[in-house]
Amino acid sequence: MASFVWKRILLMIPTLLGVSVIVFLMLKIVPGDPVNAIVPPDASEAERALVRTQLGLDKPVAVQYFYWLGSVMQGDLGDSVARRLPVTEMLLPAFKNTLLLTAAAALASFVVALIVGVYSAYRPKSPLASLFNGLSLASIGLPNFWAALILIGIFSVTLGWLPSSGMSKVGGGGFGDTVDHLILPAAATALASVGVLTRMVRSTVSGVLQQDYIFALKAKGVRPFTILRHVLRGGMPTILNVTGLQFGALLASSVLVETVFAWPGVGQVIYQAIGQRDFPVVQAGVLFIAVAFVLLNLIVDAVHAAMDPRVRQA
Amino acid sequence: MSIQATAAGDPQALASARREPSRAALVFAAFARRKVALAALLVLLVIVLACLLAPWVAPYDPSAGEVTDRLLKLGAPGHILGTDEQGRDILSRVLYGGRLSLLSGVLPVLLAGIIGGGLGIAAGYFGGWTNTIIMRALDIVFSFPAILLAIGISAALGPGITNIIISATVVFIPPIARIAESAVKEVRKEEFIEAARSSGAGALLIIRAHVLRNIFAKVFVFATSLIGVCLMVASGLSFLGLGVSPPTPEWGFMLNNLKQLIFINPAVTIVPGAFIFLTSLSLNLVSDALSDALELKR
Repeated sequence: MASFVWKRILLMIPTLLGVSVIVFLMLKIVPGDPVNAIVPPDASEAERALVRTQLGLDKPVAVQYFYWLGSVMQGDLGDSVARRLPVTEMLLPAFKNTLLLTAAAALASFVVALIVGVYSAYRPKSPLASLFNGLSLASIGLPNFWAALILIGIFSVTLGWLPSSGMSKVGGGGFGDTVDHLILPAAATALASVGVLTRMVRSTVSGVLQQDYIFALKAKGVRPFTILRHVLRGGMPTILNVTGLQFGALLASSVLVETVFAWPGVGQVIYQAIGQRDFPVVQAGVLFIAVAFVLLNLIVDAVHAAMDPRVRQA
Repeated sequence: MSIQATAAGDPQALASARREPSRAALVFAAFARRKVALAALLVLLVIVLACLLAPWVAPYDPSAGEVTDRLLKLGAPGHILGTDEQGRDILSRVLYGGRLSLLSGVLPVLLAGIIGGGLGIAAGYFGGWTNTIIMRALDIVFSFPAILLAIGISAALGPGITNIIISATVVFIPPIARIAESAVKEVRKEEFIEAARSSGAGALLIIRAHVLRNIFAKVFVFATSLIGVCLMVASGLSFLGLGVSPPTPEWGFMLNNLKQLIFINPAVTIVPGAFIFLTSLSLNLVSDALSDALELKR
């Protein structure tokens, strides 16, 4: 097990380096001379050259990359142009909120997909199962930022049950208040993955249901609930693995949902930075989520290997 | 009369009179057996045609508002889908806006199909180091969540529909290349490739005459399944303000603009998104049925 994890960690290093190269190159394709953003328009050529040298922009791109990578490794992702703050100071608290939103969404879509998927696998011919099937197919084409607007339209505007934006009431706070504000964004984010997960749970469970050991249990006359436990034990490694991978997809799709609900996460920070042409913030936000995505895949693989010995040997 | 006469006498003519249906006809028959897919295709055709013919179909000028007609609800007389905060007709804006939205859904997949398909064929056909370099480089792009990479590139290049198309193209190159590469690897094992090579055909000729023809259907169907995703990615970018600038209509940006009206006019606010959803859902259904129909004949 330990050797499996080490191997995966070693394999992750080139991936992370590749991710860092791409994020670095994003800065390089920003049109215009970055020096212009710093010096006043009437600066002399000598002053411009000085700034250029200070920023290391006179060095070859490859050298600039390693300088940049060095400072990233030390936790320095540059400063926000608009707010004159270290980028990490803006992103760390936001990242916590994004994780909260994504975890809630992942949990919600896991629970819904498990119940609906298991039901549909047990009763594949029932009208309810075909309804669920149609719904999960439809949800795959559903833009989550639009779903977010619909949820606001129904639950905030028409029914007035839930708040439409932010993370707490004015002067509010506390657990209950946060949960109130979390429900709609989490639901909108979860919609992106619940369809995929449901279809996957259904096909996994119906696969397990055809295994010999389930027939043996039925033949023995074991109670249906006990059989269900065995079915879940058989299908769970695959189901958890895909849920984990979906967690990464949810992390990225939360960017759009956050902007609709003004949820103070990384997506909201990126959105504001785009409006202000504050590119270091956008770049760091993308790096944050991409690295989290890669790490998450590693954790999911490790958990999967811990649960299913066949994966370890492969 | 002559047909009957020959049919009775000549068995060869009989065979040719009962001609085998063409492959295209068989595929379409298999496709048409799915009523949902057929309906989706119809919806898709109506949306695409209405958008292409917007100057003739749209009832109003998409960027001219009437102050007295501001914020009309759904089904208002003369404005069936309501109006926005400037009194502009939503239906007209949706029809005109669909041109850019559909373009930004189709063009990146087409470009990525050409680039990614080319890379995948090169990697799959030549194998060895060529394969390793191309596929590992694409794996890195793959390790980003699609929408995030598109946001990063688009934000770096600056707002504009062209930049959205560029960033979406980059995002869709790796998945298409992967499909093409694995399809080429399958085809390469076939004996007719070996025969062509031993009779002295060059790599380019073999790729053009044998490889392309055999992987086209697979890559094409996969690409059609990406158009719906691409439409969502592109309109998502546009929703973030990375696309068109006002007053140009475009579905994603219209949603962004209308979202401030959600407390006044919630039903009208969600109209442009309904078109994104309907188009992308229809595309998925059509592509799904197409892949089933083609596999039947494989």
